[in-house]
Amino acid sequence: MAELADLQAKLKLLSDDYVAKLPAKLEQLVQMRDGLVQSGWDVEGFENFHRSVHSLSGSGKTFGFADVSVAARNLENYLKPLLQAKVQPDQEQREQIDRLLNELKGLNSVREKADDTVMVDVSPVGVAVSVPRRIYVVDDDRELAAELKVQLSYFGYQVSVFHTLDSFRLVMQQGFDGIVLMDINFPEDSLGGVHLISELQQGRTAPIPVIFLSSHDAIEIRLEAVRAGCVAYLKKPVNLGVLIDKLDELTSTQNAAAYRVLIVDDEPELANFYAGSLEQAGLSVRVVNDPLQIMKPLLEFSPDLVLIDMYMPSCSGMELAKVLRQIDTLIGIPIVFLSSETNMDKQLAAIGLGGDDFLTKPIEPQHLVSAVISRVKRSLILRSFMVRDSLTGLLNHTAIKNQLDHEMARARRQSKPLTFAMVDIDHFKNVNDSYGHPVGDRVIKSLSRLLKQRLRENDVVGRYGGEEFAVILVDADGETAVRVMDDIRKDFAKLLHLAEDKEFSVSFSCGIADIAHFSEASKLTDAADRALYQAKHSGRNQVRLADAKSD
Amino acid sequence: MAEALTRVLYTEDEPDIQAVARLALEMLGGFTVEICNSGAEALERAPDFNPQLILLDVMMPGMDGPTTLARLRELPQFANTPVIFMTAKVQPAEVAGYKKLGAIDVIPKPFDPMTLAGQVSAIWERSHG
Repeated sequence: MAELADLQAKLKLLSDDYVAKLPAKLEQLVQMRDGLVQSGWDVEGFENFHRSVHSLSGSGKTFGFADVSVAARNLENYLKPLLQAKVQPDQEQREQIDRLLNELKGLNSVREKADDTVMVDVSPVGVAVSVPRRIYVVDDDRELAAELKVQLSYFGYQVSVFHTLDSFRLVMQQGFDGIVLMDINFPEDSLGGVHLISELQQGRTAPIPVIFLSSHDAIEIRLEAVRAGCVAYLKKPVNLGVLIDKLDELTSTQNAAAYRVLIVDDEPELANFYAGSLEQAGLSVRVVNDPLQIMKPLLEFSPDLVLIDMYMPSCSGMELAKVLRQIDTLIGIPIVFLSSETNMDKQLAAIGLGGDDFLTKPIEPQHLVSAVISRVKRSLILRSFMVRDSLTGLLNHTAIKNQLDHEMARARRQSKPLTFAMVDIDHFKNVNDSYGHPVGDRVIKSLSRLLKQRLRENDVVGRYGGEEFAVILVDADGETAVRVMDDIRKDFAKLLHLAEDKEFSVSFSCGIADIAHFSEASKLTDAADRALYQAKHSGRNQVRLADAKSD
Repeated sequence: MAEALTRVLYTEDEPDIQAVARLALEMLGGFTVEICNSGAEALERAPDFNPQLILLDVMMPGMDGPTTLARLRELPQFANTPVIFMTAKVQPAEVAGYKKLGAIDVIPKPFDPMTLAGQVSAIWERSHG
C-alpha cells in the first residue's frame, strides 16, 4: 500500500505540473489560431493546430481534468472534417472555432481561481486504497467520549478524543486520515458540529467520512447533517452495535476488483469492446469467441457472471445456457444474454432455458458495466446465504464442519498445528428473557464481530447454533489458542451492551482442543465440547484446553 | 500459461503523457518501460530494447502510429510482436480498422493511469491465452 500512496503522490505532482503548463498550452492554441487567420489557414499550420487540440483531448482526463478532454474533443471534432476537406473555413465556421476555443480557455480561468481543489482521482474502482482505522471522537461530553474510546478500542479501532471544536480544527489542518464521530450540539453553537464539518468539507476532493451523534431527532437537523456530507446520523444514547456496523462498512476493503466476467461472443471486435468497457470499470474479463471452447476458461477462470451472445454460428446462446445449467457446480453463476433480439417472447424463452437476464444490443458501455456489476453483487449475496448464517454473516454449522475437514487435511499435509475452539455465551437465556430477543441478537452480533476482528484472516469463525460459536485457529497450538481466546474473553466481558436505557455486560466460556492430541475431526470437536462443559461447570467466563488424556 | 510480460515500448510525442504512462506501467504493472518520442525513434531503439509488447500513439507528428507499425512489421524481429494503439475514444468499427492494420487491440485515450497497466496486462494475456 505504501507503493500505491507513493504512486498517488507522484501522480499528483505530474497533475500539478500539467495544470501549471495548461495556461501556456491554451495560449499557444490561441496564437496558432491567430497565425492561421493571417496565413489564410495554410494546411500545415492547420494540421499542427488540430494535433495540438487532439493531444489536449487525449491527455486532460488522464491528469484528472475530464472537462479539458471534453472541450478539446468538441473542438477537435469540429476541426477534423474541415481539415480533411482542405478548405479554408468560412466566417461562420471561424466563429464556431473561436467559440469552442473560448470554451476550452474558459475552463482554465475557472481552474486558476479554484486553487488546488481538482486533483487526480485517487480512488478508482478495483484498487484497494489503504484503510483508515483511526477514529476522531469530537464531543464536549467527556464521559461519553471516554467511554466511546474504550468501547471502540475493543474492536481494533484507534481513537483520538477532542472536547472542543477548536482543538479538532487544529488537528485537521495538519492532515487527516480517518473517520469522524461528531457531536452536533456544543456550548458555543447548538449546531456547532455540523457547521465545523461543512467548513472542513469545503475544497476537499474526497469528503471526510463523518458520523454525527445527536440527542435530537428533528428532520431539520438531520437535513443539515446530510448537507454537511455525513455518512450516518446516530441518535444518543449511541447503540454501539449500529455504530460498529457503520464503521466496519466504512473501513471495508471490499471492491469490484474481484468480479470476474466471461464473455462468449463470436464477433471478436464486439467482444473486445465489451471486455474493454468492463475492464475500465475494474472488472476482470476473459473472452471466448468459440462457444465450444467455453469449458476450460469456465473452470479455470471461475467467472462470477457469464455474458453470452444469443446468435452464434456453432451453437446458439440458448443451447449453451442449457448446457451450463445442467452442470451442478455452475448453478449459482448468473447467465446474461446479449443480443439485438427485441422480441419479448424470444427473450422470455431464453430466460426460461436458464438465462437470468437479457441485455439488448447496442448497449452503452456504462449501462453494460452497471448491469453486470449489480447482477454479480446480488448473486454473490445469494450464494453467501447458502453457507452463511443470516444474523452474523459467519459460516453456518454445516459450512464450518466442512471447513474443519479441509483445514485439518491441510494442517496435516503441512505438519502445522491447528486448534478448534467452541465458544458459548454465558447465561444467554437471561439476556433474552430480561431484554428481549432483539437485544439478544445484538449481543450475538457483537461477539461475532469481535471474533472476526480479533482473529487473523486465515482463522475461520462460524456460528455453531444459538449462542454457540466455533473457531478454527490455523497454525496455532493449544497454548497459543488459549492465550488468544482468553484475551478476547476478557475484552468481551468488558463490552457494554445497551437495552433501552440500561447497560449490561455478558461473558462467554470457551473450550479448546488441539489436533496434536485429537487427530480426527469428530474427536477434536467432541474434546472442545467437553472442555467447554468443564469451563461452564467451573464457574463460566473462562477458557479451558482439552486434556490430552481425555481422548 | 503465457510468458510474463516485462518489456514494454511506448511511443508517444507528449512529454506529460509519457511521464504518467511510465509511472503507471512501471509502478502498477511492474514492467520495464522504454519511452520513444517518435515513430522514427521507436524503429531505431526497438531492436536493442527488444520489447515483448509495443504501445503506439496513433497521431504523432512525422511518422504516425499506423505507419510506424507497418515499418516495424518489415523488420523480421518484430513481424509478430503484439502492438496496441493508443488513441482517442473509438467506435467498434474503428477498432476493427486498427486491428486490420495489425494491432491486437486499442486502448482509448485519455487513459486512466490507475487502470492502464491492468488493461495492458489483460490484453497481453488474451493475446497469449
